[in-house]
Amino acid sequence: MTIEEFTKLVETYGTESGQWPESIREECLSFLASNVEAQSLLTQHQELNELMNKIEVPEFPSLQSRVLNQALPEQDRSLFDQILDWLLPANNFGKQIWRPAMVACLPLVFGIVIGNFFSFGIGMENDGFSYWEDELTMLSLNDYSENLF
Amino acid sequence: MTDEELMLAVCEGDRSAYQTIVNQHLKSISHYAFRILGNQKDTEDISQEVFLRLWINARKWNPEKAKLSTWLHRIAHNLCIDYLRKHGRVQTQESFEEEIEQISSSYGSNNDSSSDDGGKLQLLKQAMDLLPESQRSALSLCHYQGFSNKEAAAIMNISITALESAIARAKRSLRDQLLIVDEHKQGD
Repeated sequence: MTIEEFTKLVETYGTESGQWPESIREECLSFLASNVEAQSLLTQHQELNELMNKIEVPEFPSLQSRVLNQALPEQDRSLFDQILDWLLPANNFGKQIWRPAMVACLPLVFGIVIGNFFSFGIGMENDGFSYWEDELTMLSLNDYSENLF
Repeated sequence: MTDEELMLAVCEGDRSAYQTIVNQHLKSISHYAFRILGNQKDTEDISQEVFLRLWINARKWNPEKAKLSTWLHRIAHNLCIDYLRKHGRVQTQESFEEEIEQISSSYGSNNDSSSDDGGKLQLLKQAMDLLPESQRSALSLCHYQGFSNKEAAAIMNISITALESAIARAKRSLRDQLLIVDEHKQGD
């Protein structure tokens, strides 16, 4: 080990041998024991540490109340949470009426989803479908205004 | 309660959990901000902003990636650096060397009042304030805040090698200043 290597070690890991890398600790300690320049360097760094520890940070007496009493805005929520909040609001109305209603709707939603994916033997090429399409078209074009009188 | 439990509660909008976290971490965050910014008003502003961001972005904290204190220090570090850059207060190695040379020479010409430990301390404090921000941050995180080199590197978003290099340069510069004081003492 050289004095440059030892200097780098002390500058990087500090003066406590316990903080030095284990792989070279023994080598460093024996170098320190035998080298006067290394001992002087270590003393200088110990003095530096002691002085650094004497540099104090002032008190911030009003900071804690300032931080605790600051107005806290809405928190960032994920898109999923936002959708969930919209679907299942956490207020009283949501808890007492809306959520049970949504739960009651689940079988219906489940049925629609299942019906959408499975034909259950009903052929889509059935002529009846074109009839229904015609019916819907006619309904949409029909003028109901005369029925009001 | 663990940090994870507290943060989960904060995610649910629990203000008492927020207060507990503030009480646990405010001192450390404000001390770090002060060591980087060097004045009380900016320190208070940045500390307040750190905890505001904790409240808003609580869901972004990943306990598997970083400890809460590390995450908070990272927020504080980024805010401090942004602040220094915004206000044109970024120190470089060159500006540090120029300014510290002036201080050292004025110390030499007027060392009656500063030949004791108080003078040494004052000089060291000035030197620390003049260090480039990366060196000051590295030193503050490892020496004062008690983070490991790995954690400090993660907070500063640099490699461990870069962090160790910054610490080594900072300590060398500070030690050089103490040596100048000792030389003046011996010269008297």
